[in-house]
Amino acid sequence: MTRVWKRWLPAAVVPAVVAGGAVLGTVQAGAATDLPDKTPQEVLEMVADSSVRSLSGTVEQTSELGLPQLPTDSPAGESDASSGVPSGVASALELLGGSHTARVYLDGHSQARVQVMDRLAERDVIRNGRDVWLYSSKQNAATHLILPEGSESEGYHGDKAWTPEDLAEHFLSSVEPSTEVTVGSDSEVAGRAAYELVLTPDSSETLVGSVSIAVDSETGLPLSVDVEARGQDAPAFEVGFTELSLETPSDDLFNFTPPPGATVTERVVEDHHAKHAKHAKGDRGEHSKDYVKYGSGWETVIGLPADEVPPELMDSPLIAETAQEVDGGRLLSSALVNVLVTDDGRVFAGSVPLEQLQAAAEGR
Amino acid sequence: MLAALAAVPVLIALAVRLSSRDPGPGQGPPFLDRVSQNGLFIALTGMVVSIPLFLPLTVSVAAGDTIAGEAGHGTLRYLLAAPAGRIRLLAVKYAAAVVFCLAAALSVATAGVLIGSALFDVGPITLLSGDTISVGESLLRLFLVACYVGLSLLGLAAIGLFISTLTEVPVGAMAATAVLAVVSQILDNLPQLEWLHPWLFSHHWLGFADLLRQPISWDSFAANGLLQGGYIVVFCALAYSRFATKDVLS
Amino acid sequence: MSGALPSTELAIETTGLTKRFGHQTAVDGIDLAVPHGSVFGFLGPNGSGKTTTIRVMLGLAAATSGHVRVLGQDMPASLRDVLPRVGALIEGPAFYPFLSGAANLQRFDTADRHASSATRRARVNRALDRVGLSHAAGKKVRAYSLGMKQRLGIANALLMPRELLVLDEPTNGLDPQGTREVRSLVRSLAAEGTTVFVSSHLLAEVEQICTHAAVMSAGKLVAQGTVDELRRVGLAHVKVQTPDTEGARRVLQRLGLAPEPPNSNNDGGSTVRAPLADHAVEPESIVAALVAEGVRVRGFAVENSSLEERFVALTGEGFDVVQ
Repeated sequence: MTRVWKRWLPAAVVPAVVAGGAVLGTVQAGAATDLPDKTPQEVLEMVADSSVRSLSGTVEQTSELGLPQLPTDSPAGESDASSGVPSGVASALELLGGSHTARVYLDGHSQARVQVMDRLAERDVIRNGRDVWLYSSKQNAATHLILPEGSESEGYHGDKAWTPEDLAEHFLSSVEPSTEVTVGSDSEVAGRAAYELVLTPDSSETLVGSVSIAVDSETGLPLSVDVEARGQDAPAFEVGFTELSLETPSDDLFNFTPPPGATVTERVVEDHHAKHAKHAKGDRGEHSKDYVKYGSGWETVIGLPADEVPPELMDSPLIAETAQEVDGGRLLSSALVNVLVTDDGRVFAGSVPLEQLQAAAEGR
Repeated sequence: MLAALAAVPVLIALAVRLSSRDPGPGQGPPFLDRVSQNGLFIALTGMVVSIPLFLPLTVSVAAGDTIAGEAGHGTLRYLLAAPAGRIRLLAVKYAAAVVFCLAAALSVATAGVLIGSALFDVGPITLLSGDTISVGESLLRLFLVACYVGLSLLGLAAIGLFISTLTEVPVGAMAATAVLAVVSQILDNLPQLEWLHPWLFSHHWLGFADLLRQPISWDSFAANGLLQGGYIVVFCALAYSRFATKDVLS
Repeated sequence: MSGALPSTELAIETTGLTKRFGHQTAVDGIDLAVPHGSVFGFLGPNGSGKTTTIRVMLGLAAATSGHVRVLGQDMPASLRDVLPRVGALIEGPAFYPFLSGAANLQRFDTADRHASSATRRARVNRALDRVGLSHAAGKKVRAYSLGMKQRLGIANALLMPRELLVLDEPTNGLDPQGTREVRSLVRSLAAEGTTVFVSSHLLAEVEQICTHAAVMSAGKLVAQGTVDELRRVGLAHVKVQTPDTEGARRVLQRLGLAPEPPNSNNDGGSTVRAPLADHAVEPESIVAALVAEGVRVRGFAVENSSLEERFVALTGEGFDVVQ
């Protein structure tokens, strides 16, 4: 009998060890590290002084917004890569669904490559000086953009849209007296020790509960951004490096020749667009050609006139199936963002309660 | 069974060759639209088409037959009385299943390359990243893809081995293993079970695409290896315990 | 190879061997003792637990309780040392139908770690030759007759020189000619010093080739010993052939015997039979007494019981197998 018992031992022990190892692996990934204490102001300065311009890494982005997952090949999702000019709404929709992994290679201001790794497919953005290539393996289609002269060393906002840095900048620009900034417990992101900067909006007029930014303790580079919705424990939106190397990536990566057989579209980006891109990136409370901003900080609402809304967006299953009827239009509600589609076709979006969207819609 | 697997890319190649209409970009199985320009893509299309069903099915047959097949023939008792030694028999049987997994994946790739180069032009391959690599490197990548796919099936083979020790009816073991392979893939597609996905043995099955990026992303290869390793260790332990204590009555 | 312990006198020894499947007891506390060099008949009706006992002996199934020693070593602890010295035919032959007879044997031989691959071909050929299958060695087993498969099974048990052969129903499916061949094979093996353990439900077979026997019934061992002992345990009878049956009865009764009622045999009432209990009476004195009483004795015999009677007495008649 003891023989029999002994022989069942591996069957009991091995799965336990494997399960234990798996759990331990997950725990260790978030194991606390101990760094010298810093004040929030010091950490903010670290971020501002950060001078990392060359890196290669893998970024993972997850959304738990309580929305049905968007099919990755939906028209709204693809319009981003193929049109080349990310319209705010389309990229927002892209970010709303599920999780994505991308590899990011940066070398200085003028060379960048982002590879969004889809299942059995990939979308690439390659920037080398004034040349920007957009390639989608699914369509086997490439778009070639030539940036205006003199913009070689300027940032092109498409490059960094995928890095935590970009999002961190966006949130840090919202820091104002109404935001409480604290330093949380030290953490480890992509194998690097990091300070955690926690932004908690005072305002109750926003859906954002708090934003945590992991800041690399050596370089001040934002490594990850977690956004928590009010009243939720789990991050509603996360973007962060899972792997990061600060070495300069190989030059070959930035040389792109469209593969034989691919359909190539040539486009020249005019100065106007460059300006527009700058607007879209950071400036607030201003009129740009195609959208209007209301409010500021956490309570910002973006309004899009009807003629600027991509028609395919309105037909997308997301709107058709999940929007609910409210006063003055239809509401697409999620943990972090509310989108109001008015009856006359305009779109209002923001991390704010519905009433504010309605107010913005009626105000104009 | 290897011949049946090799027939998959051959059928695809013939279908593409004989049809007058080229599949448009993004139509049909992935990579199919590239086939008429570059025959090497047949191997990849064959792989994508085989992974969800054909490969797991043949592996289920091979793995489910390991012990239960011997029991079904009644030869198990003679092997043990020879004496083969239960642990040794189990190890040899699993090793054979491992060899089969790799051979299965390689035969799809090889048949794809052969038929592709026979019926179509062969040239540098375009990777998912849009970069182009030489034929030599393409063949190397295809070999890596085959290894990846073979590796992906090892967990399933271990499960099949375990199930095979539970029964004396080989068909039952094969069917149960194949059903598990399908169930795992279905679960992997349910967004409600997202927490479970990284633990499913089929989770990384299509991850070989990462070998077709520039530069190669080894992440999924490593993650897949770890996952399959976990399944192998757990189910081989279960199979050992079950088989070492089993009364062989067939 | 085996230590010179006293118990190695026994090729197989079980003590209190019990095997239960769920609530059903297949083997119930049997104590087998198979001496070295014997040809041991393991008798019992179908379903009496013979094959289960053999499976436990060979380590294929674990005993619920009790101990098994084979060739002087504990089973299944010393399975690796013991089994290479044991050849076995277990519950009929089993082969891969799509392989040839020789290929099947080679495959089984490969499974035995101790079998040298250098001599494999020669050993396979010799084993096939020994069971008279050389002509069919290259034929697929699928095409074999039942008898040929049976022979191939025996050939498998003979791949290596064995100290013990366990043959479960070795003559199953064989024609009379084949049965005779197996019998002579067993005899020649025994002559070489191999212990042969033959399970069978055919008494005649056991009676002809075995030196020892044991009888199983419903999982229990009901008798064990040399074949002569088993026969002797059964009651001997005196048989008197006489026209004076009445007189003969009287004399036998006076001598303390209990003659069977008349007409119990269909020989026209000219025979009187009486069990000869415990040899209390010398048969010679019976004849003297009969003659002295004037009974005309035409024939007189002392009959030992056949193993069959013993078997039937122990296990029940016909198909009403005890469960």
